[in-house]
Amino acid sequence: MPDRAAQLKRRLRALFHGGAVDSELNEEIRLHLEMEAEELARTERVPLDEARRRAHIAFGGVERFREEHRDARGIGWLDRRGQDIRYAFRGLRNRPGFTLAVVLTLALGIGANAAMFSIVDRLLFRAPPLMHDADRAHRVFLETTWRWGIAENDYIPYARFSDLTRDTRSFERTALFTEEELAIGTGSDTKEMQVGVVSAGFFGFFNATPVLGRYYTAAEDAAPFGAPVVVLSYGYWATQYSSRRDVVGQHVQIGATRYTVIGVAPRGFFGMWPDKPPVAFVPAATVGAEKGAKVSNVGETWWSTYHWTWAEMMVQRKPNVTAAQASADLSQAFVRSYQHELATGSSNQPINIAHPRATARSVLSERGPHESDLAKVATWIGGVAMIVWLIACANVANLLLARALQRRREIAVRLALGVSRARLAAQLLTESIILALLGGVSGVIVAQVGGAVLRAEFLARTSTATVITDPRTLIYAGAAALIAGLLSGLAPLLQTRRVNLSRDLRAGMREGSYQKSPLRSALLILQGTLSVVLLVGAGLFVRSLSHVKAAPLGYAPEQVLMVERNMRGVSLDSVSGEALVNRLHAGATAIPGVTVASRQLTMPFWNSWSLGLYVAGIDSVDKLGEFSLDAVSPEYFATMGTRILRGRGITATDGAGAPLAMVVSQAMADKLWPHEDALGKCVRINSDSLPCNYVVGVAENIKSDQLGDDPGLYYYLSAEQFHPDKGGLFLKVNGDPDAMKEQVRKALQPLMPGASYLTVTPIRDIIGQQTQPWQLGASMFVVFGALALVLAAIGLYSVISFNVSQRFHELGVRIALGATMGDIASHVITGGLKLAGVGVALGIAAASGMSHWIEPLLFEESPHDPVIFVAVAAVLLIVAALASFIPARRAVGVDPVRALRMD
Amino acid sequence: MANRADLLQGTLDLLVLKALLLGPVHGWAISKRLARLSDDVLSVGQGSLYPALYRLEDQGWITSEWGISPEGRRAKAYTLTSAGRKQLGAERSAWRLFAAAVEQVLHAS
Repeated sequence: MPDRAAQLKRRLRALFHGGAVDSELNEEIRLHLEMEAEELARTERVPLDEARRRAHIAFGGVERFREEHRDARGIGWLDRRGQDIRYAFRGLRNRPGFTLAVVLTLALGIGANAAMFSIVDRLLFRAPPLMHDADRAHRVFLETTWRWGIAENDYIPYARFSDLTRDTRSFERTALFTEEELAIGTGSDTKEMQVGVVSAGFFGFFNATPVLGRYYTAAEDAAPFGAPVVVLSYGYWATQYSSRRDVVGQHVQIGATRYTVIGVAPRGFFGMWPDKPPVAFVPAATVGAEKGAKVSNVGETWWSTYHWTWAEMMVQRKPNVTAAQASADLSQAFVRSYQHELATGSSNQPINIAHPRATARSVLSERGPHESDLAKVATWIGGVAMIVWLIACANVANLLLARALQRRREIAVRLALGVSRARLAAQLLTESIILALLGGVSGVIVAQVGGAVLRAEFLARTSTATVITDPRTLIYAGAAALIAGLLSGLAPLLQTRRVNLSRDLRAGMREGSYQKSPLRSALLILQGTLSVVLLVGAGLFVRSLSHVKAAPLGYAPEQVLMVERNMRGVSLDSVSGEALVNRLHAGATAIPGVTVASRQLTMPFWNSWSLGLYVAGIDSVDKLGEFSLDAVSPEYFATMGTRILRGRGITATDGAGAPLAMVVSQAMADKLWPHEDALGKCVRINSDSLPCNYVVGVAENIKSDQLGDDPGLYYYLSAEQFHPDKGGLFLKVNGDPDAMKEQVRKALQPLMPGASYLTVTPIRDIIGQQTQPWQLGASMFVVFGALALVLAAIGLYSVISFNVSQRFHELGVRIALGATMGDIASHVITGGLKLAGVGVALGIAAASGMSHWIEPLLFEESPHDPVIFVAVAAVLLIVAALASFIPARRAVGVDPVRALRMD
Repeated sequence: MANRADLLQGTLDLLVLKALLLGPVHGWAISKRLARLSDDVLSVGQGSLYPALYRLEDQGWITSEWGISPEGRRAKAYTLTSAGRKQLGAERSAWRLFAAAVEQVLHAS
């Protein structure tokens, strides 16, 4: 039995004092060689030098011997890896330019990916923070069939939630939830903030013990009134109440209700809204009672009506129930509920047509079916980032390959000294993995810094997402880095298999001779192809965006502020209501900087109001489409910039008691009276027995619902004739509306009675939300496309200039044989353009094959727009020519005498 | 290089142990001693001698010590341990059994 302890001691010494052990070994070998040489000199009678040489030969490869010896020491593996790492670092330090290029390329590629991953992961994959058994939690979607198609809704009435909870057996818990922007605080401190409106069961979905107090009970969340109790979020408690423990029992005004604080949720608990964290959680029944008082029809209550859909339902399956069984259980409960709804006198269509059914879907709303355009764009950009990463990998592979070629002589020498090919491969791989990890670390920094911009665009500004502190994103970045290292390390590995000892050593002074590498060319072509695909995408989005921006809205949103009233439980009779609106209107007009002000009831892309219309000679106006109205003051058209095409706008003569006036849009006029003049026509509103509204003017069409094909069926009534006590204001201002908005609020707020308050919004923000997906898609595609182009250009440049340096000798011969400068330059540039040309051709083919996928995200833009394709091809070829031009200049500068003397 | 035999797999350990039985000696001298004892028939691949020495030391059959060689040089001398002696005995018996068996096969008519 060997002495284990002594053995271990020796091995540890070998590991930690490898240098000492190695030098002992060296000394032993030296002694051996000397003794051998002396003996040879003595017995064979040769000079000592010759004897030494023979002794060396007889001994065999010293390097290999050393390695075998280290293997025998038993710490070979660890030792060798440590050596490889030291070797790699030494090599990288010696070539700082190369190292920097590779690390930067990888940092950009990995950083772009990690940043997008953190967003896509948040939108599409990650369960809300602190949710337990998230795989068993589902958002409930209810489907009904209508004559025009299938409607699938996640917003449901409270009564439906009660029915589905009562009549299902598959669930451990259910909850009703929605997030609302509600006014918090009183007086001038009043601020609209996100509030989670959730049923008592909601908290059970999470591992979130309150840090203070408690959550509310089912009894506090029961119809008809609920209890005025609130649980504060950790963040709000910390910022507004300085984390004071006596907050429990204090009162806070939310909406029209005065709530009592009963608890504080733990840090990191945001309910379903990590990107728009609520400041507080209140019982669904309490909010239902406050808001629902007005919405229910006669004989109904807010909790029994099926007409008011205002919140979503979430369920958690029992462990032994599958998602399909859960959906089936929900569906049968929905059928019963639907029957009950019909029995209460609902005018809904019969059950055999409606075919009600329910689906338990992902808790993440962006997983569909009502995902936002933003999520779609984010997913696309995630894919784009992946392509950028691929290009970066190709680039790094090319740089490593070029480096491996430069080192071919070094490698050949090492092989000749007896280093095994496997060992050599391990060293090269170690080097590329170290590079990749350096790139990964820098990439995470890029993602954290640059990603903040992205996150602000895709997620709400309040989002809690980060990169540095997020293990999932870090793991992703690490994996991206490692795979990049392995992928890009593969190319030089393949190259070492081709090392030809005698040839490479014979190449003499030159660092390996030039040879065409199909692998490098393939990588360049791949880069070109991918860049073209990205640039085509960028082009399509940019064109879409310019179409979106050029699309006429029918009004000028830039300088307009919208003032909305929130009465917050203060009820006014119609007389004092009208007086208030008039005071506000007059007050707004008096504010310096406000040029003109008008009353309004609705705002395009924000809210709408439509009523039944009756026109002589038309059976059913409703069938012609949905007609939206606004009720306005005479100044409206001047405020919004909507042009009157014929007749007149609303004027001061259209007051109470005067004949009812209306202005219709051009599209509405064409729809109702295709062959007649609309002016003077009679439209009855709400009932065909009521007095006529006479058409006094035709206005240009406006976009109010879709930026694309909006039907534009819009009409304007006089605010003094239609609900004179309702609505808010549009103000046209001089200067920056963002700067004006607080001034306007401060000037008008004192006119508001009680706890009621005003909100002032620049309407360009509302319109901006409509154009945001294109804006974002365009800017992201352009950024990533440009990144891809830069990487591809660097790749092309480095490879061509490397080729030129490898061909110094050949170029020198050519010049010596009489080739002109022009010949040489065009020879080099043509080489680059050929590669780029193949890349462009493949890229165009790939892009036209794939672009139909992107079509739903485009705006009035064909995915095969030839302008884009031609422009992208031109850009890429120009960049390729430029990237080849610099090395070509160097090639022209080759001095034939020097080049030839190098042999 | 006539009349030289390659070492059979596994016999190097036996030979090195035997060589050291004659007294402590350094690496080069072991290879010389083996060549002399076999009338230059057996040649130890130099590259395999040192790994074998390390392996034997790792097993605890030999120990090493830096000292001055008979040629007056600083050298690492290897010494057989008592465990090494036992191992030599075991390997010797195994070898004899093996050699006899091979002989017997070759003599069979």
